[in-house]
Amino acid sequence: MNTLTTEKKQEVAEKSDGKELKQQIKVYSPNVDVYETDNSLLFRVEMPGVDDKSVEITIEKDQLQLEGKFQIGVEEKGQVRLAEYREGNYFRRFTIGKAIDSEKAVAKMKNGILELSIPKIEPKKTKVEIRNS
Amino acid sequence: MLFRILEPQTKANQFWRDFDRLNDELTRSILDNQFGTSSHFPPVNVYTKEDEALVTCLLPGMDTDQIDINVKDNMLSIHGKKKTEELAEGTEVHRREIFQGEFHRSLELPFRVNQDQVSAKYVNGVLNIHLPRREEDKPKKVSINIG
Repeated sequence: MNTLTTEKKQEVAEKSDGKELKQQIKVYSPNVDVYETDNSLLFRVEMPGVDDKSVEITIEKDQLQLEGKFQIGVEEKGQVRLAEYREGNYFRRFTIGKAIDSEKAVAKMKNGILELSIPKIEPKKTKVEIRNS
Repeated sequence: MLFRILEPQTKANQFWRDFDRLNDELTRSILDNQFGTSSHFPPVNVYTKEDEALVTCLLPGMDTDQIDINVKDNMLSIHGKKKTEELAEGTEVHRREIFQGEFHRSLELPFRVNQDQVSAKYVNGVLNIHLPRREEDKPKKVSINIG
């Protein structure tokens, strides 16, 4: 229901003036819809506040990782009266149990929703002949 | 199931892995029930300056004509409907976590608003509503004359 559900914290060491500052960054787990059609897998990920430049999608073997940075820039907005969300990062990982063609994956951002489509591939069938020696 | 969350390799036992997954899902759904009820969708931040208020809400995947913003005195209400995704025939649904349906949110602002000058912007799934303060509600400076 909520746009920002499960969350955990990530410790990020930030260097400024030679000192190491430890900062806690909120990591939100974005809501995801996953569909499968005959020839592709479709992911719809809610990442409000993220522009297409700060989204990172990586596919390594069967691991799909989705990341996004989400900044608000509170300073110029005025005094905070109510804060139900804070800036942070979006992060989510999936294991895909199907043969996919990650090279041909297509992604786009629209109104804070990331749409990722990954084509499936037919697993190759190889017949092994038995040689008589 | 097609998608599974990989647990550390040490947990070789299938049962414990499934149990952990169930545990995660349950925790998630309880948390959602507590904090994610419909009266709290969408999440909202409110900022105020001396002469205006800014309300930002996280509303991804909307069409602007599906959002209704109403202002009366110091009450702001946001109403809308998130339409259901139309799926092609034969599509298999593996996960559906994104909220669909109607939502309604009312907020009380610390001052009365000039209704005619409210403006809203929708960027990257975040709705920003600028609400200028009404002239008669603005704080007035009184200068003191030393007599």
